[in-house]
Amino acid sequence: MTQHWAHVAVSYALAALAFGGLGLGAWMRHRAARRRLAVLDPRASAARDGSGGDGTA
Amino acid sequence: MDAIPPITAGADTRAPRPPRSLHRFANPGRFLRASGRVLPWLTAAAIAVLAVGLAWALALSPPDWQQGETVRIMYVHVPMAWLAMGGYLGLALASATALVWRHPLADLFARELSPVGAVVTALCLATGSLWGKPMWGTWWVWDARLTSVLVLFFLWLGHAALTRAFDEPDRGARAGAILALIGVVNLPIVKFSVDWWNTLHQPASVTRLGAPAMHVDMLYPLLVCALGFTLAFAAVVLARTRAAVMERRIRALELARARREDGGATP
Amino acid sequence: MTRKRRRLYILLLCALGLGSATALTLTAFQDNLVFFRSPSDIAAQPPPADRAFRLGGLVETGSVERAMGADGRPTARFRVTDGAHTITVAYTGVLPDLFREGQGVVTLGRLGPDGVFRASEVLARHDETYMPPEVADALKRAGHWNPSQGAAPPAAGWNTLDPAAAPRQPAGSRGS
Repeated sequence: MTQHWAHVAVSYALAALAFGGLGLGAWMRHRAARRRLAVLDPRASAARDGSGGDGTA
Repeated sequence: MDAIPPITAGADTRAPRPPRSLHRFANPGRFLRASGRVLPWLTAAAIAVLAVGLAWALALSPPDWQQGETVRIMYVHVPMAWLAMGGYLGLALASATALVWRHPLADLFARELSPVGAVVTALCLATGSLWGKPMWGTWWVWDARLTSVLVLFFLWLGHAALTRAFDEPDRGARAGAILALIGVVNLPIVKFSVDWWNTLHQPASVTRLGAPAMHVDMLYPLLVCALGFTLAFAAVVLARTRAAVMERRIRALELARARREDGGATP
Repeated sequence: MTRKRRRLYILLLCALGLGSATALTLTAFQDNLVFFRSPSDIAAQPPPADRAFRLGGLVETGSVERAMGADGRPTARFRVTDGAHTITVAYTGVLPDLFREGQGVVTLGRLGPDGVFRASEVLARHDETYMPPEVADALKRAGHWNPSQGAAPPAAGWNTLDPAAAPRQPAGSRGS
């Protein structure tokens, strides 16, 4: 029986790409929004982060 | 439904601090603070569990006696199928919350959830196809299971498109919520299609009455992968929802600033 | 009645209406949702001649005859059964990996006047069991299961079996 490793590899690669892309997209959007908010509303954003800001602002 | 305390019922105006109600996290600041504390841990847990689960699935778990190594596609395909359906249940709950209780975050959450749900359902279809070709002998058949999952994919896509199709976000959210709730009828059809009709797709192995028809050496890595993908899904949706809340606040602030500058220019 | 409660009731009413409408539709279209028909279905209700349909069932034990066609393509003849009735299938082409005696198949083709189903496509159905080769071998050796005869025994009997305690036999001595 052939093992069809190509099909297995493509399946895992698709999942990695999709989740990697989603994660990266969400992270970049999140970072951009936080920076913009820090410019617009410096006092509130520090408290809003929960972590107290991570130095990106 | 004890989630509607009589004090807040009847009025859509939010009390400043309604104790133990759905509106606890309606305050965007409170939501951002709480979710900001959770998100790093959620992300770390997702990466750790997925690393263990995928290594177990790809390298350490045994092949199947008749499918050989091709069975490893299962460790991606099955969690995607569970997430596609479980996520849709979440979308329906958020939509009901948005329609009935007018929870302001439920709309944003639903809007950020549906593109992720569409990607996951597309992954389920693609990996299923990659699995079906060598094992069944075909990429695709129009049996009840595959067709109903394709309908689920279109529901996810339709919701993502509909909520973004209106100039007024509120109207888009309302239309999307109604679509999401109508689409719930598809969930039992997906789940029980393999029992109600004869299909090419096999019946459920894990979520069935009696013992799972899967050896524990394959079942445990499958459950770890499913947990890992679920955590990753939750982390992505949470990050997107946080970004959406901040973007809404940014729009409001920019609007206020523009109005102030206008007012300053022509008093 | 508060507004929120009214919205909730309207929603529940809509869900009830939608659910029953769907259930009725699905019941009405039950026949059209059938992906394949079993040999017993064909015996009870013979399809019109020259109409293509899907025939599904188990590959009968000992019925598979493989040969090489004149054009160099492999041909196969086997019987598809659902226990009560049996139909002979003729197929030219490569069979899928999972095809074997005792396995479920779904074939697309036409029923000839001689009662032989000429298939243009053969798809293998997978059952819902997953087990390592060592466990399958152990079950076969212990006489609990012959895959060409039927489905695997109840899962509770084997899904925690330790494969290390049932090492794989040398390839030459393995049964079926």
